[in-house]
Amino acid sequence: MRLPNWTPARCLEWFVVANLAFLGVDIFVAHTENAFRDSAEWVPVIFSALAPLLLLPGATHVGPPRVVRVLDLAVGASAIAVGVLGMVFHLRSAFFLERTLQSLVYSAPFIAPLSYVGVGLLLLLVRLEPSSSRDFGAWILLLALGGFAGNLGLSLFDHAQNDFHSPLEWIPVFAAAFACSFYLVALVGRERLMLRWSFGVCAVEAVVGVAGFALHVVEDAHKPAQSLAARFVHGAPAFAPLLFADLALLAAIGLWSMLTRDEAPLG
Amino acid sequence: MPFKSVFIAVVLGTALIVAAFLVHARRPAVERNQPTAALAEATGKCAECHRRETSAIVVEFEQSKHAARGVNCLDCHHPADGQPSTDHNGFVIAKALTAKNCAGCHAGEYDQFSRSRHAAPAWASVNGAKDFTPEQLALGERYHPTWVNRAPMSIGAIEGASAITSGCNACHAIGKPNADGSFGSCTSCHSRHLASLELAREPSTCGQCHMGPDHSQIEIFDESKHGALFAAQRSQMNLAADPKRLTTRDMPVPTCATCHMSGLEGAKVTHDTTERLSWFLFAPVSTKRPGYERGQTEMKEICLKCHTRPRIDEFYGRAEQVVAATNEKVQAAVAVVATLRRDGLVTPQPFDELVEFAEFDLWHYYGRTAKHGAFMGGADFVQWHGNYEILRQRVTIDEEAAQIRAGHPKPDGGGAPQAPADPTKPTAPPAK
Repeated sequence: MRLPNWTPARCLEWFVVANLAFLGVDIFVAHTENAFRDSAEWVPVIFSALAPLLLLPGATHVGPPRVVRVLDLAVGASAIAVGVLGMVFHLRSAFFLERTLQSLVYSAPFIAPLSYVGVGLLLLLVRLEPSSSRDFGAWILLLALGGFAGNLGLSLFDHAQNDFHSPLEWIPVFAAAFACSFYLVALVGRERLMLRWSFGVCAVEAVVGVAGFALHVVEDAHKPAQSLAARFVHGAPAFAPLLFADLALLAAIGLWSMLTRDEAPLG
Repeated sequence: MPFKSVFIAVVLGTALIVAAFLVHARRPAVERNQPTAALAEATGKCAECHRRETSAIVVEFEQSKHAARGVNCLDCHHPADGQPSTDHNGFVIAKALTAKNCAGCHAGEYDQFSRSRHAAPAWASVNGAKDFTPEQLALGERYHPTWVNRAPMSIGAIEGASAITSGCNACHAIGKPNADGSFGSCTSCHSRHLASLELAREPSTCGQCHMGPDHSQIEIFDESKHGALFAAQRSQMNLAADPKRLTTRDMPVPTCATCHMSGLEGAKVTHDTTERLSWFLFAPVSTKRPGYERGQTEMKEICLKCHTRPRIDEFYGRAEQVVAATNEKVQAAVAVVATLRRDGLVTPQPFDELVEFAEFDLWHYYGRTAKHGAFMGGADFVQWHGNYEILRQRVTIDEEAAQIRAGHPKPDGGGAPQAPADPTKPTAPPAK
């Protein structure tokens, strides 16, 4: 097995593998809160356990290219299906009963399953769009932008559940809002300096994600519960803030690709 | 320098943040005004699961005044002092709610309730004193001397535990002593998640327990002028009116609560349902309560909302004549059986001879019915369900006594009902 030289495309392949694998762990914890009430809740966990294995041949350049390509496209399409169905299932938990803002806040996080859609699209992108094309990086940045739009909704609705009792809970809302706006402008304008500034935004988002992870863990550690596991299962979702760092990494890959392919003027 | 781009990005980001604030502001104020994060989270988070399991309690809660005023699931379900708790999907809640949880906000109402016959005496009348802590016993005895520190009702040992658990205690648990030091649960009258004032004012709520031959208040009410008026005018009444602002416009005709508890037009509201009573009508031989004068005065103040004082005094005079006459009849019948016991002609055990059932039924069913009928305007219950039956039981007792004395007891009870009811302390046949 030979690891390829690190390029935006190769980074993206490993990004997809790592994300699919980690989503399984994250969803296992999240659905444990629900005690896997519905057997369909096992679907993303099982999918996340199998999908990285199926993607390994492509990520490590082992196996016939045609087979690898078909396998990757199938996994990508399946991830999109899992994500869309997951969103519908999550909305069914409360929102479809009343279709109110309140029930939207207290439904299972409806945006969360769309992370599978994002990962699936990334997989299709890496197999369908030549990494040498001018739009390759822009597509990545667009998907990162979609992720931050989801983060905006997640951090708004999740923290609305406890009514933003700590002002710190507004930070991810602010961070996601500015990530969306900066990446959108960078995507539309493609100005090199703006693309570089957006790297700075990536760094800020990563810091927000790691700090959020630490705050959630501290909050859970002090939560009254019968066991340590119960604190984390029913407490603030420890891994959720890391999505900021994860998407910042994705955006950085996109920006890297755009800066190396685009020949836009400075400023 | 891409100032234009930065400017657009900042404007867009700010607009998104403002939008987030606006979305957040549209959430129900009930949730946003909670004092702690756990409380804010509780209402929606609890409902998220309970809409699928026990969905009716969510609907009931949403219809309640508690919900309208921002009371949260955890406000009631968090463990009060002395209550065992459990971890329930990330929330620490009490294993079971008691009146103590309600007393956190409704302390005055609970204090009144704890002094009432609905509290310790209700439980003791069936189960005796064994379940009370010394403090609970002392409180009960302070307001109801001898009615709490007493033996369990004797018929329970004969009928078996299942009859007591599913029968008597289903109602008498209103005063069950709780491990946290409180008595009973307010939900007996107010229901659980609806926490309804309206429900507690409905006669049928009281009638769940105050019914049947031994305490037939709901049947008497239904037959009385009060009950007929209530049936006719129920749709025009506002049973949900604020207790402190209740007027005859809200309740132009009375329910049980109007006379016994409500603060009609400035009268004192009370959860001590014994406060406005003047006689121990449930006893075999009725005596005046310690607060006779005060109780009668307070009840008459309520009567005055509809009746003139001479009419009220006349009504009370007639009712007290029924009490006196019933007392005489009961005493005479009890004396017949007491004489048999004194002469060794019946056994010391209660409820093993038909004459004891006849004696018990005479006062426990028919004596009570006549007296309650007199005080509640139930003419038929004074006469046909009361005095007529007293007369028949008396004849039965006399015939039984004659046959016992002749050494030939009758094989059947001569009309005595088969199922005896609550033989509370003073009703058990005295020992030889």
